[in-house]
Formats: sequence, C-alpha cells, structure tokens
Amino acid sequence: MNILLKSVKILDPSNPGLHTKKRDILIKDGKIEKIAVKIDAENKITTIAKRNLHVSPGWFDGAVNFGEPGFEERETIANGLSTAAKSGFTDVVLNTGTNPVPDGSPDIAFLKNAGKGRATNLHPLGSLTVKSEGRDLAELYDMKNAGAIGFYDFKKPLSNGNLLKIALQYVQGFDGLVYSFPLDTQIAGKGNVNEGEVSTKLGLKGIPSLAEELQIVRDLFILEYTGGRLHIPTISTANSVKLISDAKRKGLNVSCSTAVHNLWHTDDTLKDFDSDYKTTPPLRNEKDIRALIKGVKDGTIDFVVTDHMPMNIERKKVEFDHAAYGTIGLESAFGALNSIFGAEATVDILTRGREYYALEKPEIKEGAMASISLFDPDETYIFAQEHINSTSKNSIFLNSELKGKVYGIINNGQLIF
Amino acid sequence: MSELSVKHLLGIKYLGEKDIQLIFETADHFKEVINRSIKKVPSLRDITIANIFFENSTRTKLSFELAEKRLSADVINFSAGQSSVKKGETLIDTVNNILSMKVDMVVMRHPNPGAGIFLAKYVNASIINAGDGAHEHPTQALLDSYSIREKLGDVAGKKVVIVGDILHSRVALSNIFALKLQGAEVKVCGPRTLLPKHIESLGVGVETDLQKALNWCDVANMLRIQNERLDISYFPTTREYTQQYGVNRKLLDGLDKEIVIMHPGPINRGVEITSDVADSKQSIILNQVENGVAIRMAVIYLLASKIKQ
Repeated sequence: MNILLKSVKILDPSNPGLHTKKRDILIKDGKIEKIAVKIDAENKITTIAKRNLHVSPGWFDGAVNFGEPGFEERETIANGLSTAAKSGFTDVVLNTGTNPVPDGSPDIAFLKNAGKGRATNLHPLGSLTVKSEGRDLAELYDMKNAGAIGFYDFKKPLSNGNLLKIALQYVQGFDGLVYSFPLDTQIAGKGNVNEGEVSTKLGLKGIPSLAEELQIVRDLFILEYTGGRLHIPTISTANSVKLISDAKRKGLNVSCSTAVHNLWHTDDTLKDFDSDYKTTPPLRNEKDIRALIKGVKDGTIDFVVTDHMPMNIERKKVEFDHAAYGTIGLESAFGALNSIFGAEATVDILTRGREYYALEKPEIKEGAMASISLFDPDETYIFAQEHINSTSKNSIFLNSELKGKVYGIINNGQLIF
Repeated sequence: MSELSVKHLLGIKYLGEKDIQLIFETADHFKEVINRSIKKVPSLRDITIANIFFENSTRTKLSFELAEKRLSADVINFSAGQSSVKKGETLIDTVNNILSMKVDMVVMRHPNPGAGIFLAKYVNASIINAGDGAHEHPTQALLDSYSIREKLGDVAGKKVVIVGDILHSRVALSNIFALKLQGAEVKVCGPRTLLPKHIESLGVGVETDLQKALNWCDVANMLRIQNERLDISYFPTTREYTQQYGVNRKLLDGLDKEIVIMHPGPINRGVEITSDVADSKQSIILNQVENGVAIRMAVIYLLASKIKQ
C-alpha cells in the first residue's frame, strides 16, 4: 500500500531537523520513501490530508491485557490489537493475565502467532514461575527464544524473596528481564483501595503505601546483591518514586513504570463505590500524583503504561468488594497524557521504554520502515462510550475531559485510520 | 422542614442536620405511640417492606420488624442462608426478584461496604441501610444520638468518646458522622491497632488511655469486640484488652463527674463493660433499644411518605 501524508506536523524530539516541521511524507511498501515540503500525489496512492494532523514515531505501551486465551469475553487478541492501533500504538507488551498463563514456549508461540499480520506488534511476556504460582521458575530461556521479552507473574507479588534472588541470577545468562509486582501481601492484607481519608470514610479496607514501598525496598536490596535487570511495574506512591530514584543514582539496573490512570485520578473518585475506579495498584492521592508526574518528567519513571485491563460487566457490576480490578486504557491514553504533559512531552513519553525490551525505536526518516502514529493534539472532548473500541467498556476515564484525538497508525505496511 | 432530603437512608453522611432534626421530632411522636396501650398506627397500610439480611442479625432485624408492624406495613423477611445468593445470583437480581412481588421498600444488611449505595443505583425501591460492612449503620447512630438528646437535652456541645474496635465498626463511623453533624465533640479510644490510621481526618480526637478519655467525656459509647471480624490478633488476649479498655465501677467512681454509658449491644459482660456498670443508672443501654423502634418507625414513615408522593 502506498500512502501520502499531506502537510502533517512531525513531532519527534529525537530528530531536531524535522521536529515540529510541517511536511509531506510518502510511504511506499511500508517504507518512508520521501519527506519533503511538497510531494505530488501519484496514481493509486492513498492520500491523507486532515487539518492539524500530527505524526510521531509509533507509540509503545509496556502493559496491556487482552484476555485471550481463557477470558475472551473480556477481549480477544484481534480486537485488542485493533484497539491499540486505533489508539495510536504500534507496539504493545502483553501481560500474562490469561488462563492458562503463558509459562512455556508453546504458549508464547501461540501468542506470537495470534499477533501475526496485524498493524500493531504484539510482544508477549512469559510467566516468571510455573502457573504464576510463585514457587518454581518457568522455562525462561526457552520462552525467551520463543519470543517472550520479559518475565512476570501478572500482578502477583513474589512473596518469596529467595525466588526473586534466584530469578535475577538465572536470567543473567541470557539477559532476561525480571518483573516484580510491588506489594507486600501481609501489609496489604484484605485491602482493596488506598488507605487514607477516603477508605476511612467509606469503611473500605485500605492498602497502605507502605505495602508497595516495603516490597520495593526488599527487591532493590536483592537486586543490589544479585545484579541483573529488574523491572518494577506500575508504581503508585510518592515514596516509591524516591526509592527508585535513589537506587538508580546508586547505579542499580532497575526500571519502573506507572499507569496513566494513576497520574489522573485520586481515590476521591471512590466515594460512590463505583467499581470502575477499582484498580491495582489503587488510586492514591494528590501528593502521589504530583510525585509520579515529576518522576515521569525527570525519567525516574522510565515509561508510562495503560495497564489496559478489559473486564466484562458481570465482573464489575457487583458489590465493590466483589468487583474485579482494572480499567481499559488504550483509547484514553494519549488524551490523558497530552492533557497532563502537552504534545511534545507526551510523544517523548509514549516512545520511551522499548530499550528495556531490546525493541528498535522507530524513526521518521527517509529509508526507514514506517512506524507512525497519527493524531491531533488540540481537539478537546468528553471521553464517552462512543470512543471505546474494546469489547469491555470498563473505562476509568468515562466522563473525563481529554485533550488530544488519535486517528490511528501506519505500521507493518498497514494503514489504520 | 417536613420531608427528608433523601430518597434512601444509605448512611449518615448523606443526611443534613435538618434531616436528623426531622427524624428526631417524628420519633418523639412514635415514642409516645409505642407507649400507649394500643401500640400501633395505620399509617403504612399500603406499604410493603422487605427485610433482606445477608448477614446475621437479631436485634436490628427485630427492631426493624417491630417498627414496620407498628406502622401497619406488610412485612416479608429474607435471609441469605435460605436464598438463591448461594446459587450464584447477583445482588441486583435477588433484590429485583423480590421487588417484582410489589415491594416498596428494602431494609438491607450486607457484609460489603457500599452495598446499599450500589443497589440504590440499579433498583427501583427506597432502601434503608441496616449495616453495610464496616461502612455505616445509620439507624443505630440516629438512635444513639436520640438517646443522648433524651438524656442530656441536646447533642450539640457534648463530648462523646467511642471506645473499642473502631477499625471494623460501622456503628463507630455512623456515630462519628452523626455526632459531628449535630455539633458534638468526638474522640475515639482503644488500642492503636483497632483505630484506623487516618481516623483523625474525620475530625475526631484519638485517645489510647481509657481513664483520660472518660475524664474528658460526657458520654462513653462502649463497643463490643467483634471477634468474628478480626482476621488476625489485634491484641494479645481478651483479658488484657479488658484490663485496658473495659469500663468498671472503680473507673467511673474515680471520675469527678457522672458520665452517661451507652452500648449498641449485644454486650459482653465482664469484657468491655462490667455488670455493675451496665445495670447502673448511668447506663442508658435499654433506653437505646426502646428508642431504636421509635427511630426506625420515624425513618420508615418519612421515607414511605416520599414514595407516596
């Protein structure tokens, strides 16, 4: 397919020559053939001309869930990837929240195969332990060879510190990336929301920030002992940012992420016991949000993820204590981040993180394969059901005013627009 | 003000001060009714009420049922033990099935916080929360305040200490909201393990020394240790708890004033309260029980009159 993008504004802070410039871009057979002030349309070419259309290198989401296999009623891989493409993402990392969990190379092969031929690239994680039960290491080397780009027992804390120690040592032979979900389950107890004024008023059991931070402290000490590469997914507290910042200064090879919704909502949203706001980690308070935003800006938080977690209504429309955790996030990610950080910083944030998974960072230059996100950073709208492409509609951003509309992507020779 | 500002009674925090005054004035009338030889009025002959209890209750259920019957409402009772809940039916479906039989009002006790608020969004009936997890137990707080008002003339300006397991207590939370709304000063007292870490954010004081708390207060509301709700040990033994937080005659005699003793029941004699205190003239425990019926009649009557509109 040949595509001509007319008069698009390029946002790519890593390419000062083209950054913020308006250009025409000609794409032939998936490759960027020409970038110039004016390119004339040839025959048999799809021309895209839209007012205020912006492009940037394709976006990366380090944490999505699609439910397949096992929870297809929540989301399928096909529709999940289609949603990612429509939301501007050219690469997504697939979490291990499936049933069964991917804990062997055939599972990884299944996922890789299911993602083949799509506009958005699917990069699966493998389970760190067999059945994600936190007891015995899964065949990590074999899964890595099959295409697993990291190892994670999805949202399940490793209560056995020795297991983390062994995992971090073992993967050094093949440069594996180990995830450790930051939660001390004893301190968290039966908590399901942030511990604070709101949980006190609502009589809900709280998870103190301490539960997250204590686990991070433990993990950092283990990392210091073992060496290797540790990733701490979806941190949520101010102190966690500080702990990781200190560890990086010390030279530890640790990376971390935070979820978009943890930069946007506080636990005040829980006051009507609305289970769409039930997430793990929980929504925290203003002070935490400020610290997380600062951490994203200064790079302490390596990248921001949607933590996209489709959940069928039967698991959400129940008493708060019984409701499942999680929110979808792909469709609202750009609008939310752009509202917080502005367009240039948002493009930077959404193109960070690939380096931890040895994935190539796309560039907008002649001769490169086209991996491009298409968007208008200035359109403002109230996020509503009509903006949701996911099978499940559990969005924490419903009724939020977002700035920034996404048109789609060009990737793998496909145009999603 | 002649009507409530709310359609449901889901928690004290959704009420205004005027709502509470209206409920009290209405309860004054019903208290007079239940002390007549004929204890019944025909007010709610056209109203059907379902008492739906997903958690065990004896006195609250009895009190609600009496209140309903003394207002001449039709009453049906439903407990989770005998229900389809265990077969996997959702709360909304369970309640909607009952409402299909032309029920106007639901009194619900439920183990999960916010269950009543959740239900009110999805079903078409007036809902009274008879206790939802550790969230609220509004009629208990109303009858407690009503009993203080009856004994001391007013709630405003009074100093009330709530003693015991505040962490797991909907009674404590609703009492805090109700007392603060009426202008009382509130402290909570107990071992730090049983006081929510952020309780001071609700504008209450914290005291871990019972004697100091009693010296400060006009009213002490003694809560039961709810062993069934304690998933881990928050204190070493009941004996040691009693040594620190049980109220006894000697403690009361050592104070320079006579304070009022309350308890939402059921009381554990010899644990949080000794018999000579529970049975003394300082105790208004049985008045609370009597007032419970009048308060619940008032709440039901006022919510039913909103349905009739």
